[in-house]
Amino acid sequence: MSSKNIKLIQTLRISSQILFLFLFYFLLIRTGKSNIEPSGYVDIFFYFDPLIFLLNIIATQAIQTLFLLSIIPLFLTLVFGRFFCGWVCPFGAINHFFSWIFKRSKKKNETINKNLLNLKYIILILIVIMAIMGTHIGGWLDPFSILFRSSTIAVNPAVNYSIEHSLKEGANDKSIVKKGLKPIYEFTKKNILKTEQKVYFQSILIGMIFLLIIFLNFFKRRFFCNYICPLGALYGLIAKFSFFNLKVNENKCKSCNLCSNNCTYNGSPFKDYMKSECLVCFNCLKDCPENSIEIKFAIPKKKNRTSIDLGRRKVVGSILSGIFISAFPRISNITKSKRHKFLRPPGSVSEKQFLQKCIRCGECMQVCPTNLIQPCFLESGIEGIWTPVLKPNIGYCEYECNRCTQICPTNAIEKLTIEEKKKFKIGTAVIDRNRCYTYVDGYNCGVCEEHCPVPDKAIRFREVEVWNFEGKLKKVKQIYVVTDLCIGCGICENVCPRSDHPAIYITAEEEQREFNY
Amino acid sequence: MKRRDFLKTSILVSSSIYFPSIINSKNVPKNSPVVKVHGDSPYKITKKAIKELGGMQKIISKQDIVMIKPNIAWNRTIEQAANTNPLVLKAIIEEVFNAGAKKIIIMDNTCHKPEETYKRSGIEEIAKKMGVQVRYADNNRLVEYDFKGERVKRWPVFKDFLEVDKFINVPVLKHHGSAELTIGMKNLFGIVGGRRGKLHRDLGMSIADIAHGFKTHLTIVDSFRILKRNGPVGGRISDVELKKTVIASTNIMETDVIAADVFGKKPEEIPFIKFAYEKKMGNIDISKINLKNFAA
Repeated sequence: MSSKNIKLIQTLRISSQILFLFLFYFLLIRTGKSNIEPSGYVDIFFYFDPLIFLLNIIATQAIQTLFLLSIIPLFLTLVFGRFFCGWVCPFGAINHFFSWIFKRSKKKNETINKNLLNLKYIILILIVIMAIMGTHIGGWLDPFSILFRSSTIAVNPAVNYSIEHSLKEGANDKSIVKKGLKPIYEFTKKNILKTEQKVYFQSILIGMIFLLIIFLNFFKRRFFCNYICPLGALYGLIAKFSFFNLKVNENKCKSCNLCSNNCTYNGSPFKDYMKSECLVCFNCLKDCPENSIEIKFAIPKKKNRTSIDLGRRKVVGSILSGIFISAFPRISNITKSKRHKFLRPPGSVSEKQFLQKCIRCGECMQVCPTNLIQPCFLESGIEGIWTPVLKPNIGYCEYECNRCTQICPTNAIEKLTIEEKKKFKIGTAVIDRNRCYTYVDGYNCGVCEEHCPVPDKAIRFREVEVWNFEGKLKKVKQIYVVTDLCIGCGICENVCPRSDHPAIYITAEEEQREFNY
Repeated sequence: MKRRDFLKTSILVSSSIYFPSIINSKNVPKNSPVVKVHGDSPYKITKKAIKELGGMQKIISKQDIVMIKPNIAWNRTIEQAANTNPLVLKAIIEEVFNAGAKKIIIMDNTCHKPEETYKRSGIEEIAKKMGVQVRYADNNRLVEYDFKGERVKRWPVFKDFLEVDKFINVPVLKHHGSAELTIGMKNLFGIVGGRRGKLHRDLGMSIADIAHGFKTHLTIVDSFRILKRNGPVGGRISDVELKKTVIASTNIMETDVIAADVFGKKPEEIPFIKFAYEKKMGNIDISKINLKNFAA
């Protein structure tokens, strides 16, 4: 292949990576701009994710039609190898970029670390076995989930904050530099920034994990993709049978082994080429001084197949430990607990199904206009980490909004129309009679009654006489809750003027979805 | 100083401290007419009301920066009548621009998220089309303001409302659970920030304090559609009644008195009107108000 063509291919690969990265972030930001209704295609990346598809089939024993799209990259993998990782995956692009930033001269004798490379297959086996046993944790490690979650919860709010607090001060300043920044600020404000800074309880944890994954690229190129990514492992298993191959023209090759210099997995087509690890980045073609590497498409014959040498012991070991580990969430005390304190978004399926369907991607958190949906920590057990829960202290469920129900890619939150959502009971408001002003102080308050969005008012007034703190009887409009009308939207808890603990708050009492493990 | 003089002055001084409203009543125009217009088009009746008040140029000077403060608090549609009717606003914006104003700003501190309420109320669209600056309430722009009230003393107010030359208050008349009604004076809750929920203890007094401590140049009450029950959010069309009326005056309290009458309630029974009357902000007796009725 001529060096001109090689350059072209390289440019194509990089532009494709940039394109998909931009597409991902364009859709992500679009998802979060609250004045745009979600239009069905913002979650499109997840539909091209065969790992999620596989786990979803195992967990729910049903096929979601849109996920059939994920068969397309699988078929293409049969032809082109792991092109998806090298050309499409936006998280791969980020890792690729940082591997390039952290690039250093190759250490001597840096060879393929087969044990590390095999790690991702073990992780894949673990995840699949655990899904079969009923514990669905693929979302923690799926690259799209990681990227979407980290962006929603940590990266975007952090960028939002820094721009607001650096550029905005500048936008009001009169110096020429800062005046120049004004249009940039106004553009970002209009298209990217949120009107209101979003806050998440776990920003720091998720942000640090994201940073860690990026800094791991310092030690090995594309660390996450090569050694951890279960989706990459799945593609690797299929790439084994792909038509794509790199061949060294032995007449030209001078055995310099320069081709392994920039290889993502430290291999080379010259020596131990591994089809299932090759990310089709074509760095080796560029590095070869003799142009001796050729792309060949051929039907893979059995003897030519590079085997993924996992070893029987590792496979059996990971299967057995998968079975063992998946039992732990099932025997955690939460499964027998008679009560629970967390709230799930409107339209959520029953708790057991929810944990199996939810891929912890955080799209519902991104789309929620009021910041109500937050990543869960330990409230719903270890298994439920980063699943969505509602925190009415931070936001409230907007009565005229059903965005989270529209966006969920795996239907853990089922699709509801606005009319259906208005009737969906998330929980019930409970009055703390030791705190409410209308009960203890003999004051009129009624902020919760004012905000209650149910047309009939689920919070109502009754005129009673209350002993106030001066020991006098006083006529007060006291609030009470009509449990049957309350939908648990949480605006009452959100606006309650008590500073310590809300005098009215939402509990999971009477929630519409079933709660059974 | 003689003992008698000393006693006289000390009584005067102490009473003037006790009744700050006696000295601090610059915000209250006396004997100003209240105009009530009835008609089928919210746009036309508003135009008529402004004309009968003597025209907008009586209030707005050339090159003024004008703040129009409608009620955009809730994520509800025009038919649900929880926000100010955009057609009423359209007429006001036109008149203000015709009077020679340099710039008009529309802003409200909303209860639901502003991105939603500005859009669904239809106000953002009509305002932007007419070249009005639409602002969201930004908590970074809060400054302490002294209302000199009994209940509300220093309280954070959005700078935007203090930096303008003229302030036009355009509330919508509707039912309100804890305040009985929300009209002009209650609409001024949209200029304050902070923990507004805290103001709901003694809500009537807080409303009167804020209305008394802040200068309103013109109040135009949209009572074209009014929410009779389950306010201030509402949401059910059957709770909405067509009154097809607009009430306008430079005196905020007297506008509220007439609006309460339009709603069908006795003004004396509305706590905040009662408190405003005690602060001498206007007449509570409808027969004493300089009321003019028109049809358009």
